Amino acid sequence: MNTSVAKLAQISFRSINFTVQGTPVLASELHTSAPLCRVVSGKYRITKKRDKPLTYEMANPPHYIAHRKSWNSWNTSSLKDGLRRSETAVEDEFIRRFMTGTWHGLVCSEVIIKRQFNHIRVAAIMRRAVSPTKMYFLLGYTEELLANWLQCPVTLELQTVDSFKDVVFKYI
Amino acid sequence: MSILIKRSKSGCFNSACNVKLWRLNSTSADSALKKGEEEEEFRVLDILKKRDKMQRRVVKRTDVQPDRIDRMATNQNWGNVWPGPKTFHPSSVPLPIRQGYVPKGQAPPGKKANAELMKIPNFLHLTPPVIKSQCEALKQFCTEWPNLLNSEESIEKHYPLEIISSDYCHASPSIRNPLARVVILRVQLADLKLDKHATDKFKRLVGDRYDPKTDLVTITADRCPTKVQNLDYVNYLLTACYHESWNFEDWEKEKTEDDMEYYDWDNNASKRSLIDWYLRVKNELKIMNDEEYKAFDISQIENGAQYKASVSKYMNEGENPQTVQEYSIAVRKLFGLPQKKLV
Repeated sequence: MNTSVAKLAQISFRSINFTVQGTPVLASELHTSAPLCRVVSGKYRITKKRDKPLTYEMANPPHYIAHRKSWNSWNTSSLKDGLRRSETAVEDEFIRRFMTGTWHGLVCSEVIIKRQFNHIRVAAIMRRAVSPTKMYFLLGYTEELLANWLQCPVTLELQTVDSFKDVVFKYI
Repeated sequence: MSILIKRSKSGCFNSACNVKLWRLNSTSADSALKKGEEEEEFRVLDILKKRDKMQRRVVKRTDVQPDRIDRMATNQNWGNVWPGPKTFHPSSVPLPIRQGYVPKGQAPPGKKANAELMKIPNFLHLTPPVIKSQCEALKQFCTEWPNLLNSEESIEKHYPLEIISSDYCHASPSIRNPLARVVILRVQLADLKLDKHATDKFKRLVGDRYDPKTDLVTITADRCPTKVQNLDYVNYLLTACYHESWNFEDWEKEKTEDDMEYYDWDNNASKRSLIDWYLRVKNELKIMNDEEYKAFDISQIENGAQYKASVSKYMNEGENPQTVQEYSIAVRKLFGLPQKKLV
């Protein structure tokens, strides 16, 4: 990241040098973006005690997508000439955040979002830490609110486990 | 209560009563003491959090229902268990499925709490018996295929006009796809009833929409917002071109030999020279006008038709070894000269 920022700064300063009128405004010239972090993103460090629990999804780094694990979002926008690319990506991120916030501390896996026509299926593995009554409430609540915001039918397809330990694939 | 017990103190069960007394007294005293403590004493700093530990509530877990697969009959109708597309659920699929990559020698993760199985689209709702029953249900809405339309040729013969348009399935809140509006019309030029002039004019009107190799006219419309409008527009274009090509305008008579798009032997100097030469040989030379030249029947000239064909081919296709060869043969035949000996 440092190198890219330095490069951007260099470019902007070079352009500043060429500006003729007075002192230029630095703020409008310097642009930064989120770092790519290709090497470390989506990967987990080994702990000293080797007691960090990883799910299957976490245990396989991103370059194994489509080889050892599959995508978390399934839709036609990501195909060639797909429609609504950016909208779909933003909506998916919104659904993920809403799910993890609404089912606070209960989501044990990634939130899987599958879209068919105008139907959105949200799948996840939940912990059985709250009573079934609460679960049913949250289910209806989530479906209703998401359907209202996204203007399409939303279905939650949940699987429950006793504890987080059930989804742990290995410890590092 | 305590007063009553105090009275019976003189009785024979001294020890037992004593115990009773003490116990009751102690409990009552204890409770009183506790009450007093809560009100009067200072709060105690509980560093090790012993009291909190004692007070932690044990979460009572509700009984988890047994898996659905345990209650399934072997002769059940699977279509009722899994009627539509659904994310994989381990407790209702009675199959010992595993998925996941593991190092050699280990078993892959089982079906329970396996997110990978939930990700992949499954076709558990489309088992062969279900498809069969759905097809049976749909059969009542189908009509029989016409017997005479049993081959591609007969279909093309009876339905020469071909309309191509696409429908798109995609995941989005709207079912509209802008590409679905495109309509393509395809028809063979030979299927249209056109004469020589009309064919020529039609080709000029449609321009590069006509492919001479396949003899197909392809008209594409995508300017209107909906498919129906584009379909109407395509039909309109074909109709308009067809009728326009049958029109013969006054200015079309002014077409000269220079405007011709191909070499027409009948209108050219080659025919005139051939007729002149023929008549001169027969000593019947006379002065003729253009119309007479055009109307002259060359079938009376021996080998004249072959000469016409070879000259037309030479001019239309350009000079190449084959056309030159054919031209040479035709000319030698026309003049009665010996054929060129092949070396």
